[in-house]
Amino acid sequence: MDQETLTAEARPRTGAQGPVVVGFVCVWSVGLDGLVDERGRLRAFPSVQVISVPCSGFVRPNWLEEALRLGAAGAFVTGCPYGDCLNREGNYLMRDRVEQLERRLQRRRVEPARVAMLAHGLHEQAGFLEAVGAFLRRLEALGPAAPTARPGGAGAAPTARARPGGAAPAARPAPASEPAEEEGT
Amino acid sequence: MRTTPYRRLVAWLLRQTLRLDVAINRLYPTDFNPLYYTGGLANFFLIVLVVSGILLLFYYVADLEGAHRSVAFITEQVPYGDLLRGVHRYAGDAFILAALLHLLRNWFTERYLYARDNPWISGMFLLLLGWFIGVNGYQLVWDDRAQAVTVLLVRMLQAVPLVGETLVRLLLGDVGVTRATLPRLLFLHVGTASFLYILLWWHYVRVRHPKVWPPATWVLTLLGVLVLLSALIPPAAGQPALPGQGTTAVPLDLFFLLPFWLAGFVPPGLVLAGLLLLFLLGFVIPYVGEEPRTDPVRHAGVAQVVDGNCTGCELCYYDCPYNAIVMVPSPYPGVTKAAANRKLLAVVIDSRCVECGICIGACPFEALELPKFLEADVRRRMAEAVAVTA
Repeated sequence: MDQETLTAEARPRTGAQGPVVVGFVCVWSVGLDGLVDERGRLRAFPSVQVISVPCSGFVRPNWLEEALRLGAAGAFVTGCPYGDCLNREGNYLMRDRVEQLERRLQRRRVEPARVAMLAHGLHEQAGFLEAVGAFLRRLEALGPAAPTARPGGAGAAPTARARPGGAAPAARPAPASEPAEEEGT
Repeated sequence: MRTTPYRRLVAWLLRQTLRLDVAINRLYPTDFNPLYYTGGLANFFLIVLVVSGILLLFYYVADLEGAHRSVAFITEQVPYGDLLRGVHRYAGDAFILAALLHLLRNWFTERYLYARDNPWISGMFLLLLGWFIGVNGYQLVWDDRAQAVTVLLVRMLQAVPLVGETLVRLLLGDVGVTRATLPRLLFLHVGTASFLYILLWWHYVRVRHPKVWPPATWVLTLLGVLVLLSALIPPAAGQPALPGQGTTAVPLDLFFLLPFWLAGFVPPGLVLAGLLLLFLLGFVIPYVGEEPRTDPVRHAGVAQVVDGNCTGCELCYYDCPYNAIVMVPSPYPGVTKAAANRKLLAVVIDSRCVECGICIGACPFEALELPKFLEADVRRRMAEAVAVTA
């Protein structure tokens, strides 16, 4: 319905330059049939790259942070309506984690408004697009992300990524062999 | 991917269920959608039943002559006694209604699959016993309706081959209705109700933070509805049961006494067989029509611990909604610097894992993976998407 107007509003800046927003969408939540193109971008907002995940709780909050550091204007997670998570608690947990991430970003002088948690059920495509549109407008109002403000933006990668073990994250080998090597007993 | 008619049916029912949710969520915020709390509602009604039942127990006399008189005494003499009886009666109906809603919703949204069949199976027992307790409750009043129900119940049990007479004896305490009958029925009513709590333990055992209580607004509203309903339509007690009286036309309760209504048209043995078949079909539901596990996102495989990275911090253990992760004393230190001094190691119990990946989001140390949906792939896709921009 108002999908067209939303598109028109969002396109001028974000649509022209390819995907700048990463959206993790729970595969059980909003139905994406017809909403995304073959490369996984939202048709209504080509700047939004959708990544399907098994549950919104699957998303580790520092992936959102990583998306911002890589140059995305924003990142969001979409889960099922609160109270109706297929896995009972995934969306509540993710909502908490995103709130914690917002506080963490604030301390690092990154606008917390660049991350968001949405919750939409299978049939709520219109509501989902509306929420994504609102998120894009919020990002536009923030303006382009200041590169210096981002952790790791000025070559500060090792300190910003205070990852335990100090493993170089970007150079981390694809863990295709890991399931075999680890032990579950 | 080939689909069976059953799978198509469930898929259709899922879509309709969620469509109904959309409509209800327009009325209430999602946190208050009563259909998200069907189990909690059933539990709430059960508590109401227990409390009102204990109060009724103070006055009830389990005796062929005294039972109906004591019920009449509760209704007429005990302060608010009729209200109490009404609340007990209607809460019973509401309990079965909530339990059925709970069953249908979890069926249609397929929340019984894989590791979640435990609550389903214990739920079938809860439903069966809940129904049995309700029928018992109707018998305890010992009016003409109770007599009709007892006669039909006895006929149903007699139709069971070999053990029929034994079952009748177990139900009535003797070969027929004697002085032993009402104490036996009272014990079956109260004892089985207590047994429900053992089943509820089984129902909840693998579920972390079960939603056992609806929001306070619903609790208060429903309590008010129960009281109002029993004040407006007080439950009737029929004529006292007379020995030798035949089954007469009696008002039937939709949720408990439907099989007895059916028994008027078909042989009671057949009704019992039908009930048994329904019950057994219920057990089959979690195991038929499993979707082929081909979709790597929906069925990403049982979570696996990356041993060397696990620091024993217990975050995944706290977040797993199904208690599928346990912490064990670490047999050896981890490989990474952070994990070098760990005391504990996370272990995934495969049979409890539903492949949701919530532990992956919980773990800041990259110590968990879903084997068919690797973190590295997610991050690579993210990086590629952002790189197109630059």
